[in-house]
Amino acid sequence: MTDTPDITPEDRAPEQVPAVSRRRLLGAVGAGAAVAGAALGAGGAVLATRDGNSGSPGSGAAEPDAGAATVAFHDSHQAGIATPSQDRLCFATFDVTPTASKADIADLLKTWTAAAVAMTRGEPVPGDVGDVNTPPDDTGEAVGLTPGRLTITLGYGPGLFDDRFGLAKRRPSALKTLPRLPGENLDPAVTGGDLCVQACADDPQVAFHAIRNLRRLGFGTVVPRWMELGFGRTSSTSPQQATPRNLMGFKDGTRNIDATDTAMMGQHVWIGEEEPQRWIRGGSYLVSRKIKMRMEQWDRDRLGDQQDVFGRFKGSGAPLTGSKETDTPDFSARSDTGYVIPARAHIRLAAHENNKGLRILRRGYSYTDGIDPQTGDLLGGLFFIAFMKSPDQFITLQRVLGAHDSLNEYIQHIGSGLFVTPPGLSAGQDWGGQLFG
Amino acid sequence: MNPRAAHHRVLVCAATVISAGLLLTACGGDKGDSKNSSGADAKGAGDKTSNVSIEITDKDCAPTPASVPAGTVKFKVHNKNSGKVTEAEVMDGGKMLGEKENLTPGLSGDFTLTLDAGKYQVYCPNAGTDHTDFTVTGAAKKTWKDDPQLVAATQGYATWIDGEVKELVSSTADFTAAVKAGDLDRARVLYGKARIHYERVEPTAEIWGDIDGRIDGRADDATTPADFTGFHRLEQAIWEKKSLAGTEKLADQLNADVQNLYTKVQTVEYQPAVIANGATDLVNEIQSSKITGEEERYSHIDLLDFEGNLAGANEAVSVLLPTLKQKDPELADTIATRYQQTADALAKYVAKPGYEQTGYVDYRKVTADQRRTLSQTVDAYAEAVSKLAGKIA
Repeated sequence: MTDTPDITPEDRAPEQVPAVSRRRLLGAVGAGAAVAGAALGAGGAVLATRDGNSGSPGSGAAEPDAGAATVAFHDSHQAGIATPSQDRLCFATFDVTPTASKADIADLLKTWTAAAVAMTRGEPVPGDVGDVNTPPDDTGEAVGLTPGRLTITLGYGPGLFDDRFGLAKRRPSALKTLPRLPGENLDPAVTGGDLCVQACADDPQVAFHAIRNLRRLGFGTVVPRWMELGFGRTSSTSPQQATPRNLMGFKDGTRNIDATDTAMMGQHVWIGEEEPQRWIRGGSYLVSRKIKMRMEQWDRDRLGDQQDVFGRFKGSGAPLTGSKETDTPDFSARSDTGYVIPARAHIRLAAHENNKGLRILRRGYSYTDGIDPQTGDLLGGLFFIAFMKSPDQFITLQRVLGAHDSLNEYIQHIGSGLFVTPPGLSAGQDWGGQLFG
Repeated sequence: MNPRAAHHRVLVCAATVISAGLLLTACGGDKGDSKNSSGADAKGAGDKTSNVSIEITDKDCAPTPASVPAGTVKFKVHNKNSGKVTEAEVMDGGKMLGEKENLTPGLSGDFTLTLDAGKYQVYCPNAGTDHTDFTVTGAAKKTWKDDPQLVAATQGYATWIDGEVKELVSSTADFTAAVKAGDLDRARVLYGKARIHYERVEPTAEIWGDIDGRIDGRADDATTPADFTGFHRLEQAIWEKKSLAGTEKLADQLNADVQNLYTKVQTVEYQPAVIANGATDLVNEIQSSKITGEEERYSHIDLLDFEGNLAGANEAVSVLLPTLKQKDPELADTIATRYQQTADALAKYVAKPGYEQTGYVDYRKVTADQRRTLSQTVDAYAEAVSKLAGKIA
């Protein structure tokens, strides 16, 4: 039924002793691949990387066929936005502790940068190895696993730019808490945060490992606010990727922005010249929405209605006015009873044609939180993540969708976040220096 | 040379066999590595580990080889077929340095020690020949014992622990007297006054697992109802059952157990890294059983236990602080700051005289959000403390 690509982590290599043997392992895996040899820090070891996204996200990288691939950390944009969607997500937000100072945050961001660079290369968090009296610096659960195209994307919430850390004058102009939107019922326990980290990888343990280690490095400066583990990407962000299905069984990313289209990305996703804060140009706004699906009710809905709700055929993914998934929907086509694609169908309301050309880059994942203890129903749905040049893009779309979408009968927005993700770092730069200027 | 009199039990060995490299790192060239980047050069690299195998039989437990050079020695103990002899210990005269216990036939285990030149014995109780000599050759290595500051630290800590356990004995006597008199009101107040002394010394008490279990075990640790004894059994009687009927024997046993603990504690010899890791254990205790309300589930005096664990951790850290300040002033600062933050976080719940005269509010009044804040503060402190052992040892 699903035609999601089969991206499973490679067979897990046997447990390895940290550092040295892990490098050797990676070297061996990458050896046959075409590529760039990157000289790696201290040991002088050379890791042959398969950089599926080498240097420019716009290079139309093919979907990698092995978990050994790495995605370059240093780039003009942060990885994890234009990067072809990995299969798994671990997303967490953090609050700065009341006792932390500006210097503490700068220190932490510097440490996070070093750790992120190492982890995205498939190396452990740097530090001492093997002193039996001290806890290891890396938690260790990713040792022996391949890098899995890990990307770590950092974002800042509106709260960080209040008067606590002298950042008010560096606040990106559109960064504020999202306004109340129709139909939402937000739980503060999964909403907001001073910082967010999106870790994506083809192996859930690799993604979780990244968040866990950053959290650990953050002790005393930041505390975790909430975290979500996502499985099964729900959008494709490059033409090479098949469109996956959401938990309602529908293809819901067919008309997403093609992240390899640099013109499109410049127009809709990357913060550009319009932003007075130069330091954030090349970044992007990240909107996260935790969307609960009423899966039991949905599964009892007749097929015809399910298709009307989305405006697509469930089987082929084609719009109701077409025969192939990629056919352009004909929103004017009528039948005896009205529009073929109903007036409140999800694809009609979300379509750029019907929203003055408005587009966002969706990069969401399915999630589950187990069973609702009160009802016994499944808890889960879509952990929606989208990137855009201005949060107004999402606000405008969601005002329409939240008020009119037929889908609302089966979903509810229960968590929310707006963050700004800074532009990419060049070698030697760190997030702390970039943020504080 | 030993800070305490002969026949001392060495805490490190009894509690957990984590001591490999302890002394080794104490004397390996110190690089004052506060930076967190280069990896690779594990401290003390270059020292070789000698492997010694010990085969347990009904006859004996002779080590092979019987002589090794000074340094790190890894003992691999294997019980081939003896149901009678199930452990092997390495002794220095009357002092046990390390052991592997409960090796039933077919089982193996190992432990690592750092040994100076000298004569030692491998001891396996109940064997035909129960002592066999074991020789360590070469120049005596410098150890933490050559550092007067660290020796003073271990002595200071030992004195403090002894004092606390002494107070535990007398406060437990007061508490159990109230229990035996059937005075519920008095027992409620005196319970916490005894508990706090135990919470301060917990890692030391835990080296005798059976005593710790009898004094501090929970209902869910007991395999039969009769095995549920000690403080928490009485706590249940006072707050849940609200009756002291039939608790007389439990009270007597608790007194005997804390008295026994006091006797044993005086034989413990502490090593700096063990004191440090004991501090981490104490902060972890706050996290795992106080924040959750697990430990004092009937009385809800968890905040008092919190104070006890925190004080115990702080004492352990304080004796090592002079050394840490020389080796890693940055970590010393971080630990001090985060201790203060934890103490401040706890102080928000101070009340006079407080719930059950504990000086704190009833833990049930602390909301889920407040508990989470406490937890995050404790976590940050624990994370910093966990780095201490590697720096001072």
